[in-house]
Amino acid sequence: MSKAGGAGSGPTAAAAAAAAQKQKTLLQRVDADVANIVDNFSLLINVARVNDPPFRNSQEAFQMEMRAARMVQAADSLLKLVSELKQTAIFSGFASLNENVDRRIEVFNQQAENTEKLLERIAEQAAASLKELETHYYSSVARTHQLDA
Amino acid sequence: MMGSSSTEGSRSMGIDLDKLPIKRLESIDEFGNEQFPPDRSNEEQRLAQIRRIDFSSVVEKDAKKAKKTSSSASKEAPQAWPWQGLVDNLHLAHQELSVIIDLINTVEANDAVAVAGMQRPKQLPSEALADLAVSAATKLHRLRNLGRYFRQSSKALEQQVLREARFYGSLIRLQQNWKVKRQRLATSGPGSEGFSFDLLDSSALSDLAAISRPLSMATVRIDHDSAGNLAIQVPKKSCRSLSVQFLGADTSCKRSFFSKGEVYNSSVLAQAAKREALTDEDVNKCVKGAHSVLREIHRSIFEEQVFDVLNLETYNPSQGINVTGMREDFLQLAIGQENSLCICLVPSGGEDVSQMILTGHTHSEESEFSSSELAVTDEKHDPFKKKLLDVPSPISLETYLLYIFHEYFLTRAKERHYHVNHRPQLSGQPPGSSYALLDHFCMTVAHRMFSNKVLSEIERLVSRVPYLHLISQFTWHSRTSSWSLCLKVPEPSLHAGRIRKLSDNQEVNCKIRSQFHTKVILKDDQISVTGEGSPSIVGSFNGNYSDLCLINCFGCDLEDLPMILLQQIAGQVIHWLHEEALVVGMNASRDFLCLYFDLDQGDTLGLVAHVDPDDVYGCISWWVVLENWSMEEGKLSTGNGESENRKFLGYLSLEALYSTVMDLISLCSAGGNH
Repeated sequence: MSKAGGAGSGPTAAAAAAAAQKQKTLLQRVDADVANIVDNFSLLINVARVNDPPFRNSQEAFQMEMRAARMVQAADSLLKLVSELKQTAIFSGFASLNENVDRRIEVFNQQAENTEKLLERIAEQAAASLKELETHYYSSVARTHQLDA
Repeated sequence: MMGSSSTEGSRSMGIDLDKLPIKRLESIDEFGNEQFPPDRSNEEQRLAQIRRIDFSSVVEKDAKKAKKTSSSASKEAPQAWPWQGLVDNLHLAHQELSVIIDLINTVEANDAVAVAGMQRPKQLPSEALADLAVSAATKLHRLRNLGRYFRQSSKALEQQVLREARFYGSLIRLQQNWKVKRQRLATSGPGSEGFSFDLLDSSALSDLAAISRPLSMATVRIDHDSAGNLAIQVPKKSCRSLSVQFLGADTSCKRSFFSKGEVYNSSVLAQAAKREALTDEDVNKCVKGAHSVLREIHRSIFEEQVFDVLNLETYNPSQGINVTGMREDFLQLAIGQENSLCICLVPSGGEDVSQMILTGHTHSEESEFSSSELAVTDEKHDPFKKKLLDVPSPISLETYLLYIFHEYFLTRAKERHYHVNHRPQLSGQPPGSSYALLDHFCMTVAHRMFSNKVLSEIERLVSRVPYLHLISQFTWHSRTSSWSLCLKVPEPSLHAGRIRKLSDNQEVNCKIRSQFHTKVILKDDQISVTGEGSPSIVGSFNGNYSDLCLINCFGCDLEDLPMILLQQIAGQVIHWLHEEALVVGMNASRDFLCLYFDLDQGDTLGLVAHVDPDDVYGCISWWVVLENWSMEEGKLSTGNGESENRKFLGYLSLEALYSTVMDLISLCSAGGNH
């Protein structure tokens, strides 16, 4: 999450504050989800203890299922957070995008120049080949004999 | 009813007798009142009787029986059922419970006694352990179920992670080259992430006139399949290509689309998705396929934009543009007087692009021309077929048309970028116009067709003149063509190393010319001929001859070109012969296509070149003409055919001409008597 660090230098202060706030919110969500997983797991382990005398089995079974479901829900929430981060990176990473676009432009310009040079070279070779062929043809004995005939 | 009592160890039954059911006086108080026992109800009486029952004997008997059975069971231990003890205990418990329940029911039915409470009997250690074991087993079972649940969840989450990794990885890779947009409306269906590719390049067309053609395929929706691979939804029959054809051209010229690179083959991915895991290579193929599809759509959009700009340009009258037909996707232009050029948008491929994506067809598709109204060429029609041979390649014209528009758009984009980044755009400064591009293209086509005709004429000429060489010269300009006719003269050994000294006013010419060049330059439809070595018209009057003369033929027709070239070449030959004659010291003169040698007595012997472009045996023939003093100066005898004063020498080579000239010089030196 280095966007907030770099965001303060480029955009306005409001955008930087919004980015910082969003980063804080995301971190809170991450912490909450991780804490949720840890707490539910510890409670699950506690409920898994065999009581003496044994009673409240049904209640404990329901608690275990509930804790497990909450853990899975927290994991799913984390995955959704990752998806949101990826989407944010796709649609908000203008600095890297611009850099990449500039790099690609340079590469394509270079390719265009190379292609043009290659085409020029091909054209020059074609011209030279044509000139040579024409010289050979018009100097050939076969043409001379044909004309003499 | 008598109560019974039993003595221990005896089998006899004791009998107790109850008191007679008469009221017996219990006591008399001091006042003389008699106290009788209270009357008991039937229920009380029954209860009292039940209490008097002694069950101890029955219990002892049962205990004895149990001891006997246990002793017998211990003897038969190897053969006993392992669960027999549990069953016996359950039976006993059941009996006890039955007795108690019967007692309770009887008491409650008689409404004499109500059960106040029951204490759970103290559990035996085995019972406590059994309960603990059952509880532990139950917990273990539930924990195993939870374990299965966690495993399933982990698999599902892993698959989701993989799907998202594939999808977002592919999307980020494609974002390197394409613009990704997010749709915030809830219009996306299942499998859709709300993303789309925006393929419209608005930078190049932002200030052009309104483009009437809606580019619906400029936005390509992004979906993903069950495996998480990125998929593209392409509308059916959306990709079209620009096609340039000559009216009446052979439509058998096919174009193959999607021939560059690999085509997105979803069947491979469908097969791969059935496997457990997709490899990186499969994902790479998917990304490359999507990239190629987007590239095709982008190319199609660009060609449609080019067609729109062409349509716009036709609305402005221009000298070089002559529109003879127009429809929604069809534009017909007249090129010259005889040819018509058709520019149209044709569907890319023979079937739906989207269908091809789904079915994974990878064969190259043939184009279908939407303008089926084009006339079909009759190959037996020779003049028409001959005309088609002069037309340039339609594919080269398409490539050139797209190239010039691409360069135009690129230049505008760079200028705009420069104005935005470096300086403000000046008001009133025209951003540049594309109106000349169609004009330039039409003139290019016309030039190429006319150039082919000129070349065919020159080649016909060169084929009939053996000592003439044709050299094609590249001008690297689409509307300029140039050829050079090279005349190589032989270098006889007599002139090797000889230096001729002329008068003091003239410079020394140390080198005899070995070749002459005649250049033909065609700009649009204007032919200009530049030759060297031939005398100029002005120079022929004052006797000065320049080595390089320019003959400008304004309005030179194609029909006049062969004659002009032949005259040029014949003049160069005469020039060379004249120089050779001067080298050997002969006083010779030349006049256009004639070389004269002075004889004694005022006679003149001339070598005359005759040019005829239509002569199939050779375009340049030679005559020897004898002029005596009686003839008018400067005039040759008219009339065809040989006579005493003129003799036809034929179509001589340069060596033969040189020999002839030497012979004539010898003849002249000898006096010329005949």
